[in-house]
Amino acid sequence: MKYSYIKPRTKTALTKDIQLLFTFFSVTIGMLFLTYVFLLFKEYRFEENRAEVIQEEKDLRASIKIMKAKITFIEKQNILSERVFTQNSVLKDSIHNLFDLVPGRITLSQAKILEDGLILYGITPNKDVYNFMLQAPLRSIFHRTYSSFYPIENGWYRFVSTNYIDEESKNEY
Amino acid sequence: MNISRQNIYLLTLSVLLLTFVLIFSFAVLIPNGKEYRIKRAELKKESRKLKQLSDFAYDTSTKLQKLQGENRHIITAFSTAFSVERFQKQHRSFFTSLKLSKISKQENEGEFAVYEVNTSSEISSPKSFYNFLEAVNKSDWIVGVNFPINFKRDAEMINSSFTMKVFENNKDSNASK
Repeated sequence: MKYSYIKPRTKTALTKDIQLLFTFFSVTIGMLFLTYVFLLFKEYRFEENRAEVIQEEKDLRASIKIMKAKITFIEKQNILSERVFTQNSVLKDSIHNLFDLVPGRITLSQAKILEDGLILYGITPNKDVYNFMLQAPLRSIFHRTYSSFYPIENGWYRFVSTNYIDEESKNEY
Repeated sequence: MNISRQNIYLLTLSVLLLTFVLIFSFAVLIPNGKEYRIKRAELKKESRKLKQLSDFAYDTSTKLQKLQGENRHIITAFSTAFSVERFQKQHRSFFTSLKLSKISKQENEGEFAVYEVNTSSEISSPKSFYNFLEAVNKSDWIVGVNFPINFKRDAEMINSSFTMKVFENNKDSNASK
């Protein structure tokens, strides 16, 4: 039996107002969560990138250290080789000068070039030729010069000339 | 004022949701945002440092390559082991005869090993010895002619004897690098 002439309308808790409210807040909260997730993701990526950058820095520092060690070693090789090459060149000039120093009238039979001196053995026609033409220039180079003469059959002299540079002034040459 | 129950529910719900939004924003989102900015700044700082470091590494590498290029002969010479046979073969032309004695190890000079070789030779004129001294600077090894040097006339020839110092990379100290 019917008590009303109108059709009953279905009642719901989700009225139009509530639906609107939920839609508005769902969108707002959704956006906030998305921002939060974005921030978390970006922070994670920053951390990851930073760790990579720090590792790269570490590798670079190690490689720079190795390169610097190599540079230092090459520089040391360069300094040592220059020193050796210069010594060879100086030695060549010294020997050249020594043989130029000996006049044509004096014949050398032996020459000993020492680190701090020079010993010459040879034959001279007379003592004066030796004294003026060989000993004089040797005196100007060396600090101490000693000469010994031994007469030989033809009237010439065999001589031994020993010349030294004193240790303290050796570095000046 | 007549406010319906429906409206009271609506208002309460709105206030609750708004409170949640505000708390979430101020308690979570804003501190996270700050942290995000700090981390971004840190990354930028590290990246700048890395850029400076990589520029420096590039400069150092260029310098090293230039040095290696300019000193190729010296570097190779220091790393080549001395060979009596090869030395004789290369420098025989300067002498009438050339004999090298056995190599003896001397005290190291810093990071370099030093070997001494006694040499006896026969030359026709001192010029040959000058040429030898010039050539030894261009040889495959770092060789220094050392005192004492002895020249002795023997008829038309000159017998010469001298010692040579050969410098090489010290394998022990290089291996530890």
